[in-house]
Amino acid sequence: MLNAALNRHESRPIRSKASEKPIPNAVSQPTAPGSATLRLARNLAGPSLRAALALQMARIGSRIAFTGLSAIFVGEMIFGRANWMLFGAALGSLILGSVTGLATDRVLASTELKVANGLLGAARRALVAASPADVQAMPAGTLIAGLQRYPQAIASLAVGHRLASIMLGLGPSAAAAAIAAVSWQAALALVVLTPVMIVFFVLVGGAIRSGAEAQEKAFGRLAAQFADRIRALPTILGNHGLARERRKLETRLDTYASGTMSVLRIAFLNAGIIDFFASLSIAVLAVFLGLGHLKLMSVPGFAGLQLWQSLFILMIAPEYFAPFRRYAEQYHAKAGGVAAATALDTLVLAARPRSIDFETAILTPDLIHAASLLPRTGLVAITGPSGSGKSTLLRHVAGIGTARSDGSELDRPEIAWCSTEIHVPEGTLGDAIGWGTGQSCRTRLLLAAGNVGLLDDVLLPGGLDALITAGGENLSGGQRVRIGLARALASGRAILADEPTAKLDPVNAAMVRRALAGASRGRLVVVATHDRDLAMLAGKTIEAGPASQQVEENAA
Amino acid sequence: MNDRAPSHVALPREKIEHTAQWRLALLFAFAALAGAVLLTGVSMWFLGAVALAGLTPAALTFNFHMPAAFIRLFALTRTAAKYGERVVGHRAALTDQVLRRATLFAAMAAAPSVRKAGWQLGNPDRLADFLDDVEDVDYARLRVGLPSTTLGVAIVLLLAATLWSAPLAMVMILLLFAANTGGAYYLTGRGDADLAGMRESRQEASRLLGAAMQAVVPLQAERRWNSMLGAPFDGYASAEARALMLRRRQAVVDMLAGCLAPCAMLSVLICAWLTGLRGAALLPPALLAFAWLAIGESVQGVSRILIASVREKAARVALAKWSIGPDGTAHKHTPEQIRSLTLERLVRRTPDGRLLGRPFGATFTAGRPRILHGASGCGKTSLLKQIAGWLDAADGCVLADGVALDTDKRRAMSSFCPHDAAVLADTVRENLFAPNASDEDLWTALSAVELDGRIREAGGLDGWITQAVLSLGEAQRLNLARAWLSEKPIVLLDEPVEHLDADQGKRILAALLFRLRQRIVVLSSHETGLMLAECRPLLVTQ
Repeated sequence: MLNAALNRHESRPIRSKASEKPIPNAVSQPTAPGSATLRLARNLAGPSLRAALALQMARIGSRIAFTGLSAIFVGEMIFGRANWMLFGAALGSLILGSVTGLATDRVLASTELKVANGLLGAARRALVAASPADVQAMPAGTLIAGLQRYPQAIASLAVGHRLASIMLGLGPSAAAAAIAAVSWQAALALVVLTPVMIVFFVLVGGAIRSGAEAQEKAFGRLAAQFADRIRALPTILGNHGLARERRKLETRLDTYASGTMSVLRIAFLNAGIIDFFASLSIAVLAVFLGLGHLKLMSVPGFAGLQLWQSLFILMIAPEYFAPFRRYAEQYHAKAGGVAAATALDTLVLAARPRSIDFETAILTPDLIHAASLLPRTGLVAITGPSGSGKSTLLRHVAGIGTARSDGSELDRPEIAWCSTEIHVPEGTLGDAIGWGTGQSCRTRLLLAAGNVGLLDDVLLPGGLDALITAGGENLSGGQRVRIGLARALASGRAILADEPTAKLDPVNAAMVRRALAGASRGRLVVVATHDRDLAMLAGKTIEAGPASQQVEENAA
Repeated sequence: MNDRAPSHVALPREKIEHTAQWRLALLFAFAALAGAVLLTGVSMWFLGAVALAGLTPAALTFNFHMPAAFIRLFALTRTAAKYGERVVGHRAALTDQVLRRATLFAAMAAAPSVRKAGWQLGNPDRLADFLDDVEDVDYARLRVGLPSTTLGVAIVLLLAATLWSAPLAMVMILLLFAANTGGAYYLTGRGDADLAGMRESRQEASRLLGAAMQAVVPLQAERRWNSMLGAPFDGYASAEARALMLRRRQAVVDMLAGCLAPCAMLSVLICAWLTGLRGAALLPPALLAFAWLAIGESVQGVSRILIASVREKAARVALAKWSIGPDGTAHKHTPEQIRSLTLERLVRRTPDGRLLGRPFGATFTAGRPRILHGASGCGKTSLLKQIAGWLDAADGCVLADGVALDTDKRRAMSSFCPHDAAVLADTVRENLFAPNASDEDLWTALSAVELDGRIREAGGLDGWITQAVLSLGEAQRLNLARAWLSEKPIVLLDEPVEHLDADQGKRILAALLFRLRQRIVVLSSHETGLMLAECRPLLVTQ
């Protein structure tokens, strides 16, 4: 999906420096089935993952070396020979193992950071490239919550989990090779045991899947009841449903928990199998090797060994199983990462709004032609019944939206947009009006604010120093439009205004009309409006609508 | 009606623990760790003993059955107990979780923040943070309490054994412990700040991104969209960088912890050798040394335990904020019907505390619904919330038939339909909040709000609905159906026709007002166009 966004972006006129850089490897990747996000994450991980793998192998090697060397040291020591060289070597490999361990962890962590940041960057590029309609169709809350968590979850799947799964092959081989150096028969016994273990894994895995499916089928609906009730808490209170909801919540959580438990009981068997084989291998090896020492049994490879040899086998055998355990521990990383990747795939561009079809249907060549013939100065009104595409045409004039004009791109980069949706920064009214205009001259700001009646607004006392809270939450729609207009006036740019008078009371609406008409004497002002009085002031009117597109030239 | 939580509900701490289950889990955890330690230690001892015996004629008389049987026993104990620990521990945690969450739900419902403007946990990102906190507390016992107790006891036992058999080794071991303790302090001390910083950056970034996405049209038109996305994504990146710092600190602790067990093992062996023990006399210290080595795996988990405990502490603080200051007391008897409701000198305030306009006074009569008009931001919703008892009336007062009502009574007597009412993930029947109504009543309500066809499609009264399956207009109509079924003497509707088209809104509202003709009904609308024959307007001025 991210790729799709990037490819789509190629045909878009709005280009920014950041969005022109292609994602390395991502765009050229063949489209294999599976998650695009996950593929991107794997590509981002690429080289650093190989470094981490090399370090991890060095760490495992040092661990085996330490275990083996200390086994030899102990074995010799019990026979009265304290070999200090061996001791030194063991200590050395312990230190080496610790240092490479630290390095591995650090490389893993920074690789995951790199992947997470790469995913964030891709999401950002997708957002930059998206049309306004696309962005408005995205589920903003879910997207934002996702951006907080998903990149990290995906990164740990693409890095940590992947490393563990690669080590699944390499780790046991290294341990088996070390044991084979002492007794190839013992190594063979371990290797032969592995398929048996894998058969158990497969059996348990199937049981876990069917158990989880049954749980999903039976109780899937109850999965997020707690979150849902917390979210809906004010509604529950407003309708006096608290007592009942609490009882219900308790019962449902309980039902869900017991369902979860029955899945967990099977899921824990997975770890249990590894424990079982690891423990049993020690027990069986100890007894076999012991019988060999007592010369009660003469199995080749298990009899006639020195103590250090049998200790060596006994102590390295658990290393054979350790990678399996580490992989099993990553189970949550896998589940979480896959879910996050799927979610991010669909989230950023899940929404395929009506935009393209709707826009091509509504923006007829006549309209586009009319919109391309705009004067340098003057007031142009786009009118029409609601749903006729006034706003769509206004967006087209601004050069945003998905439908393209016939090459006659409007060369009007300096636009001030004015609507209820404008961005209002936290701070004072003066900051809000000056935002993005490069205008900090207090007199001009005062003038602009006064022109739209913001200085004597009872609901926003304090003049230019009136406080505006985060997100402009203390502003009404009408106040936002007027701030937008004041900003536009102060900026000196061409003004595009979407329903500038819709949310205003009659007095303020008249003031805004006057201000717009005044501004249009020195620059272009285009308004999309169903306010007749405002349209009357326009020198040119474009009538939007499915049936009739007329351009009326009024005598200005 | 008994919907008020007890006033003293604080965050449930360990009161609700299921002691028996946790004790069993702890027992299993001990057995598992002991099994692992003994398996390694005794195997080592056994091999040493038979190897020494194998050199002499004693080999023939060596009783190997007994140690071999023990070794098998330890192997099986370790496997079975580990499984038992996991199952019982999770069961205990889940049982606790059910009670804790239900109690937390009630405590949060009793806290005033839920009635203030803007329910923050309605935002998915805030809700996700909240759920993280809840989960951190839910699993704290399993992630922190259980493993740290087990590991602590095992370490104490091993230390005692070391002190007894190779006291010299204690010097080295205590040094190692000191290093590890230092590491632990370092991690927990910085971990707090890292986690808090991470969350702060993320929340700030989310706020900025949300604001930018709302303003996407103007921003794209003014060619600022790309640069506006800079700050939020930088915020996410700095949160990730903070996470990296934490991981690096954790890696240092992991390294220290990883050295502990092997170094302890080597120290015990060396000390035994230096004190002159040889041959068979070396076997008991060797057993101890290998026991140290065997707990290495558990010691490796120490950084995870530390992080989980830091998270738990932070989560408890964060959760406590949602349930502080439960107000009000148990519910009182309230009349089922009233004839008039008088507001006197009600002072309205904006959500940030500024005064809004002059004190407000009005009288509402049963059967004569009033509609509050006024520009957005003039305090219509605050006024409704004051009547509903969700906000206090400050110096003003609300009288029912001439009797003053406190907030609790007002809350008990009124049905408040907020304009952004939620759809619960539940059946249609449960979503209507009318447990005593018959099916027929429910269908009548649904058809009055013109939702009966849609609900029949969705599976009838017992069909499962969620916020996502209903459109905004449908959710609004469901909300109005709740008001239709309400039995409270006061019904307050905030923006009841929002998201409905004009004709449908008028039709439904007319039917609803007829149904509620015996009740006190106050509604608000920012659309001055909403005029109803049945409804006298009341202008809320600034």
